[in-house]
Amino acid sequence: MTWVTWRQYRYQGALAAALLAVLAVVLLLTGLHAANAWHSALSGCAKNGTCGSLGGSGLSLSSPTFLTLVVATSAVPLLPGLFWGAPMVASELEAGTHQFAWTQSITRRRWLAVRAAWLLLAAVVLSGIVSAVVTWWSGPDNALNADAFLANHFDITGIVPAGYALFAMALGICAGALLRRTVPALAVTLAGFTGLRALTALWLRPHYLSPVTVYYKLTAPFSPAGSYLGIAQGIIGPHGQTAVPNNGAPSYDGVPIPAACLHAAATPNPQAPVPCLAAHGYHGYLTYQPASRFWAFQGIETGIFVVLAAALLAVAFWVLQRRDA
Amino acid sequence: MKPVIETSGLTKRYRRVTALNDCTISVPEGRISALVGPNGAGKTTLLRLLAGLAAPTGGRAEVLGRPPRKDPAYLAEIGFLAQEIPLYRRLTAEDHIGIGAHLNPRWDGKLARERLAGLKIPLDRPAGRLSGGQRAQLALALTLAKRPRLLLLDEPLAALDPLARRDFLAALAEAAAGGDLTIVLSSHLIADTERVCDHLILLAESQVQLCADTESLLAQHRILTGPRKDTTGIARTHVIVREDTTARQTTLLARLNGPVIDPAWTVDEPNLEEIVLAYMSADQAGHNAGPAGARLSAVGGGR
Repeated sequence: MTWVTWRQYRYQGALAAALLAVLAVVLLLTGLHAANAWHSALSGCAKNGTCGSLGGSGLSLSSPTFLTLVVATSAVPLLPGLFWGAPMVASELEAGTHQFAWTQSITRRRWLAVRAAWLLLAAVVLSGIVSAVVTWWSGPDNALNADAFLANHFDITGIVPAGYALFAMALGICAGALLRRTVPALAVTLAGFTGLRALTALWLRPHYLSPVTVYYKLTAPFSPAGSYLGIAQGIIGPHGQTAVPNNGAPSYDGVPIPAACLHAAATPNPQAPVPCLAAHGYHGYLTYQPASRFWAFQGIETGIFVVLAAALLAVAFWVLQRRDA
Repeated sequence: MKPVIETSGLTKRYRRVTALNDCTISVPEGRISALVGPNGAGKTTLLRLLAGLAAPTGGRAEVLGRPPRKDPAYLAEIGFLAQEIPLYRRLTAEDHIGIGAHLNPRWDGKLARERLAGLKIPLDRPAGRLSGGQRAQLALALTLAKRPRLLLLDEPLAALDPLARRDFLAALAEAAAGGDLTIVLSSHLIADTERVCDHLILLAESQVQLCADTESLLAQHRILTGPRKDTTGIARTHVIVREDTTARQTTLLARLNGPVIDPAWTVDEPNLEEIVLAYMSADQAGHNAGPAGARLSAVGGGR
């Protein structure tokens, strides 16, 4: 069955390997360039003692084109699921070749298992290689901008892309087995993958572990170390006053300014009320996930996608066993 | 000896449609059986049930002594060729032979290659670029290379021109010459298959109308022609399958239960096609009409 799978997928596999090689070369060259730029910037700032403010200096390590290319690798885990997973069962059912395959001396279970295993492996290897290169590529950028935990960075580095790839492949196979047609299966895979990725990145991820909230003096702004994931930041008054919708009354960062501080708000400098607010018991707060949780979050998110992938594969197995061919 | 195929009350219902109803047949070993019937009669459904590709909703089937299942030991014994002659378009004949070799325990790749070489079918051309006749021959060669004990072929002749049909049937007859291979071959016309088949299953309206050796069918049935007259006398001893009446004369196709005594009738031997058409049109004539009573009682043995 392995031989059969290889025979059917060898050209597609070769094409994928070629595309992967091109992408890797582009990333290696631009990554080396970015690393050089980073090191010369570091040695430059070390002479002037300005390394602390390098992040805000407007230094750019790569052209926007390559930054966009790197962000676009978030689509890589989807592609094997889309182009190999969705047609895996559906195209056989459409062409009728399942009647050839499933009347050879082999169970449908084995037919599906071997084929799915190789495709899942291919998807993981493909996404894993891209993710490894992108993680390396993003090193200097992350050191400069401390953005590893942010959406579009977190999702293309580390181990999550491999989890996404497993999920996309399982979704494609399952959709193909249920819908029995390639094009609808492709559409479902695309929509399901994009939807779940958006859902996790925007709504679920910030809450995998209960976030840390720090209250700080308004006169001494606080910023956590490293690449943290900010969830909420603002000002809170001594009686719990927080930001309200703008109603035209004087406010600072959305929080209505108390009568005692209105005199300071009368000046054009927007920062003018800060000392008065601080004196009246107003604090800044930041709710965030610390940088130290990066790998825990990578593990949790990968786990979610792997479990979903397993469930989808179980459904696909069940459907192919139970339904008439 | 136990028949290769034995079904009883085999039924397949989809949500609204009954594709096969109460099908009871029996096919002895070594037969080449023609499964005939109009389009939509349930031929494909029956073959798919026997191949283990679909599960029945009622009744049971025994093929080679066990119910059709999706297990390798069962699948190794049967060869199934679907109507659309499914092959992987981008893979060559050699690729297909390789696939068969990896998925079957008794694979005879040499047989398939020799057969294809004899038919001058290139081994290195993708199946999608072969002609319809070549594809059918390739699919048959692959099915035979499995060395099955039962071959189930669904409308294998439909896509073929007359010459390719002749070659295909010749290949089948040759494969069956050994005597231990049983073949069921569906077709919507008997004329195609009459020359090679020695057994016949007639399905119409999802039901079995006939299931018997062609020899005994030919021996049992007669065409009676006579002046227009009441047929109740004949119907008392024989089974009238179909009755045609013109102003002057009556033509009957009947299954005889003995000699026809009344000298008013001329007795002729029908050919297989005439018998099949008589049963098919008897069925269409309406379920309430007399001749429908002949249905199934003509099944050779069975019930």
